[in-house]
Amino acid sequence: MRRYQVKKILTGSVSGILKVMLCLFFAFPFYWMIITSLKSYMESIRYPPTLWPKELTLEGYLTVFRGLDVGMYLKNSVIIIICIIMMQVVIMVPAAYGFARYSFKGSGLLFGIVTIAFMVPSQVTFVSVYIMFSRMRLMRTLLPQILPFGANAFGIFLLRQTFKQVPDELIESARLDDAGEIKIMMEIMIPMAKSTFVTVALLSFISHWNAYFWPLVMTTTESVKPFTLCIDKLKDLDYGLVWPTIMAGNVILVLPVLVLFLFGSKRIISAMAYRGMK
Amino acid sequence: MSEIVFKNVSKFFGDTKVIEDLNLTLKDGEFTVLVGASGCGKTTLLRMIAGIGPATSGEIYMDGEDISQVPPGKRSIAMVFQNYAIYPTMSVKGNIEFGLKNKKIPKEERERRIASVAETVGLTPYLGRKPGALSGGQRQRVALARAMVKNPKVFLMDEPLSNLDAKLRVSMRTELIELHRRVKTSFVYVTHDQAEAMSMADTIILMDGGKIMQQASPEVIYNDPDNVFTAQFVGTPAMNVIRAKDGESFIGYRPEKVMLGRNRGGALYCRRGLILTREMLGSETLYKVRLEKGEWEGEEPVNVMVKSQDPGFREGEPVEVSVEKESLYFFDKNENRIRPGGGTDMEIYYDMARDIPAKAGGKE
Amino acid sequence: MMGEEKKKKKGGAIWWERVRPYVMVGPCMIFLAVFTVYPVLNMIYLSFFDYNLLTEKKYIGLKNYERLFFVNVDFWNAVKNTAIYTLSVVILLIFFALVFALWLQKSTVLNSIAQRIIFLPHICAMLSVAMVFQWMMDEKGLLNMVLEFFRLPALRWLNSSATALLSVIVVNVWKNIGYYALILMSSLKAIPAEINEAAELDDAKPLSKFFKITLPMLSPQVFFLLVTITISSFKVFESVRVLTGGGPGDSTQVLVYYIYRYAMTNLKFGYASAAGTFLLAVVLILTVVYFRLPGKRVHYQ
Repeated sequence: MRRYQVKKILTGSVSGILKVMLCLFFAFPFYWMIITSLKSYMESIRYPPTLWPKELTLEGYLTVFRGLDVGMYLKNSVIIIICIIMMQVVIMVPAAYGFARYSFKGSGLLFGIVTIAFMVPSQVTFVSVYIMFSRMRLMRTLLPQILPFGANAFGIFLLRQTFKQVPDELIESARLDDAGEIKIMMEIMIPMAKSTFVTVALLSFISHWNAYFWPLVMTTTESVKPFTLCIDKLKDLDYGLVWPTIMAGNVILVLPVLVLFLFGSKRIISAMAYRGMK
Repeated sequence: MSEIVFKNVSKFFGDTKVIEDLNLTLKDGEFTVLVGASGCGKTTLLRMIAGIGPATSGEIYMDGEDISQVPPGKRSIAMVFQNYAIYPTMSVKGNIEFGLKNKKIPKEERERRIASVAETVGLTPYLGRKPGALSGGQRQRVALARAMVKNPKVFLMDEPLSNLDAKLRVSMRTELIELHRRVKTSFVYVTHDQAEAMSMADTIILMDGGKIMQQASPEVIYNDPDNVFTAQFVGTPAMNVIRAKDGESFIGYRPEKVMLGRNRGGALYCRRGLILTREMLGSETLYKVRLEKGEWEGEEPVNVMVKSQDPGFREGEPVEVSVEKESLYFFDKNENRIRPGGGTDMEIYYDMARDIPAKAGGKE
Repeated sequence: MMGEEKKKKKGGAIWWERVRPYVMVGPCMIFLAVFTVYPVLNMIYLSFFDYNLLTEKKYIGLKNYERLFFVNVDFWNAVKNTAIYTLSVVILLIFFALVFALWLQKSTVLNSIAQRIIFLPHICAMLSVAMVFQWMMDEKGLLNMVLEFFRLPALRWLNSSATALLSVIVVNVWKNIGYYALILMSSLKAIPAEINEAAELDDAKPLSKFFKITLPMLSPQVFFLLVTITISSFKVFESVRVLTGGGPGDSTQVLVYYIYRYAMTNLKFGYASAAGTFLLAVVLILTVVYFRLPGKRVHYQ
């Protein structure tokens, strides 16, 4: 019995130590990013590198703000994300409601299209979309980065599921209370889907804040580029790679997601897990 | 006045026939209970009255007016659902108020009615709460208040107590009976629980397979059933129904009407038997008795339930089972009741009930 | 409802009730048609043309495919790299996801912290992750310092064609492992506790418990991961572009990067479309495999 207990404590503490090391392994690059961003250029190129800077400096950040019109890129990112989320909600609500609550001819086929759209990667569609927007001479606007994301297939999935889970009795009860279709949708269904909206908005924010491929192929002028693309340009800002500057930019890029995760990790994790399970 | 009349009503779900050609009148102001096993069509009937599951054909009249085409919100009915169907995003007050708002009732009037209803059901302290923070019993009260506040002509209730625990269920029964007495409007109540039906109803409508088996007061249902189904539906345990000597009709008697003894008595119906099991219920004892083989009986042994005041019989003990003539029920081969004075010669049946020559020797 | 109101309401109301669902899903369908369905069909169409956006497009039949499959060796190189990348990522991700999921599944404080930290890279921009790793994989960077500390020879990481693809694989596994572990963890939670308890009462050894109970119960999810990881690996682009730009030489040239380069740099839209059609076919086949197979082969759910 004793031996069994000793063995248990031993494996437990070994496993605990390994877990701490695992955490360090995954957290370290973030630490390294932040620390590097606070180093001076001279210190950053020293070999072997210092784990803690001898002097902390904001040089890197200043270079970023001096060298690039950060405000413009940030503004573009924010406008793009806000427009995408608003448009997605406006399109998603009636679509999800229609698919969840009515049976109509062709609903299976149409929902099948939504499902397939979920699987088609943007790496396949970008050629045609690019041609389409440049033919329409819209490449100097933010539209190519907004419009293609109007119909959020995953959001429609999720919201349809939410609407379907509303018990029939609730809607019947509302009808007995003399509520019309629109009233039922606005006052019963949508309030019940509040948390789904937050989830969809969160995931949309994360994916479009981080978006790189799509803006890269959909922007030809500087004035419409989002924040990610200006980070990409930090490499060419000075002669050679100035890591404190590059890392400073990346800290700014990662920070909003980090903050979001700090407050909403539970919701983000469960939403992501749900998307993974689908 | 709010008499509800069903006229030649049928209901199909796809190809499945749920109710066919049903005619029924629910009297004004009564507490009517629709009772039957699940799938018997009782909830379907209720939903037809509400207008949320319209009939496939036929008409439904309320106060003599055909309401088949009236939308559910305009029928001046209120419904309490089995799972209460409380709007989870609205406060208790919001829930009660929703229907009134939709009817465009002015604010002062609304406030007055909500306050009075909340007082009646004891929800006043909880008006600001969200349903998530309420207990099962309180949710039930919200559902009830939401129905009451509309001052409907008819209250529809679909198994409203089935989600409550046993103790609360019994006390809510009494409250509903009191509520009915106070508001004096028609109640139509659906349940699968015969005890609930018996204790609450003015009129019970017993249904099976979309057909009405009997429509009567609880007393009549218990004492004077129309058929085997009704006879066996009420009472715990159910009525003993045994095939008679002629091999096609049936004899029935309730477990609580049986006299159990060690010596043969003078009743019309007397059988020898063996106690199989014994269950102490408190003031009474429930015995399962295996009857000795009669002359007509085939291979299957016949067991009957007996509820007796005498707890003194043991398992394995031979006993005499006897039932008085008045407590015997006879049913024909279609399981319909044969009543004395119905033109039938009852003597044939009494003869069959009378003593069967027992074969010598017990089972042991 | 329909039948009930037929008599009372006017024809317009019935018409509206019939049309309403289409009006509601309409906007969504239009967007999908314009930005998903049309681009896919148009891409397939364009793959039969010589097109550079500036001059008139010219029908050339299967020429693009001919060049793709038989003339240009760089395409098969890209496919080969993508395949190596995919195979490695799939194996590593599923293996480590299983290990981490089993290891961190109990709900303790340490585990929940570890779960979150491992998951965090997944929601951060690939761009930033790639840049940090590029910095750490610098020839005078942190990783070489660590190797030196253990008296191992320094690596040239991204600068050598021998290690560049491996480096890209490492970065992607590091970034996404937390996500896949999370998915497996949530399906582990779905296994009824009683089954594990019953196995313990039957005195099952941990290893046999894993192979006889846990793995079979997890098999649908593992299979799902297999397909999703394969699909997403075929789409790898961002990390390649930031870390190596396809080099050194052509050692990290992958399929999407190939398409991107031919479309956006060389403006050979027809040719890029042919390569894109190939990618689409791969994704499609994998999707069909996923939807077809599970019921027959895989356990439970």
